[in-house]
Amino acid sequence: MKIKIKEKVYDIEISETGEGKVKIMVNGKEFIFGEEEKEKISVAQTTLPKRDFSKKEIRAPVAGTVSKIFVKEGEFTKKNQKILILSAMKMENEIISENDSRVKEIRVKENQQVYADDILLVLE
Amino acid sequence: MRILSFKELPSTNEKAKALARKKIVPWLVLSAKEQTAGYGKKKVFWFSPKGGLYFSIILPKSQIEDLQTLTILAAFIVAKTLKDNFSLEPLIKLPNDVLLNGKKICGILTENVIGEEVKSSVIGIGLNTNIDKFPKELENTATSLKIELGKKVDNEKILKEIIQGLKKQLATISD
Repeated sequence: MKIKIKEKVYDIEISETGEGKVKIMVNGKEFIFGEEEKEKISVAQTTLPKRDFSKKEIRAPVAGTVSKIFVKEGEFTKKNQKILILSAMKMENEIISENDSRVKEIRVKENQQVYADDILLVLE
Repeated sequence: MRILSFKELPSTNEKAKALARKKIVPWLVLSAKEQTAGYGKKKVFWFSPKGGLYFSIILPKSQIEDLQTLTILAAFIVAKTLKDNFSLEPLIKLPNDVLLNGKKICGILTENVIGEEVKSSVIGIGLNTNIDKFPKELENTATSLKIELGKKVDNEKILKEIIQGLKKQLATISD
């Protein structure tokens, strides 16, 4: 079979090798696809950087007003990253992330009043 | 008492927070003769020209409840310092504004960094001491010791008294 891509013509031959694999010849060059490729992909996936995805909630350390939120749902956060500011009396509390994680859910809005121990964010 | 004095800083709290991020040196004081970007709660601008007393203290690691109590007590300490030294009758507007003749003379702001526990805390105090004049938009709401007393006061002496007072108070409320 011949395929023309732009102005170049490729001579392509597809056949089965009999071991559950497919052999594709392109202009005399041999490419074999099958289970081995699948294995290669799964190896690649497991080599992604490891993160601690254990579920964690950030709770209000004191009662106050959420004056600023610096993150969005779905965002990855790094250790020591500023998450939000909780204003309480004359204290401004900068709440930071303790681990590399992802913001699963934000349960508060800016200017919302919260009680001590209320869940502000859920991380994973 | 270790005091780092600066001729000018954008904000003593910002400088103290930056230092505390690297290392907590409890009771290290940073003072500036002038702040170019002084602020109070919610980053509201704090008028900080030469003559005033602007300082921040890196606090020892404490429980959040103790820090809240200390912040409120700071207003009482400032008021007491003014009363003892100048026979003035300051009024504390809770949680922690100090007023003289109905006008603000002092602002206090504590800033904490909190993870699973309190990582660092700084308390910043701006006291209108030797300020001659306020801009038009502030002259009805702010005053200074110099305006009230008609004379200059000793910033260094006041600074030391307030720090001693805070140290004593934190020792009584915290383990």
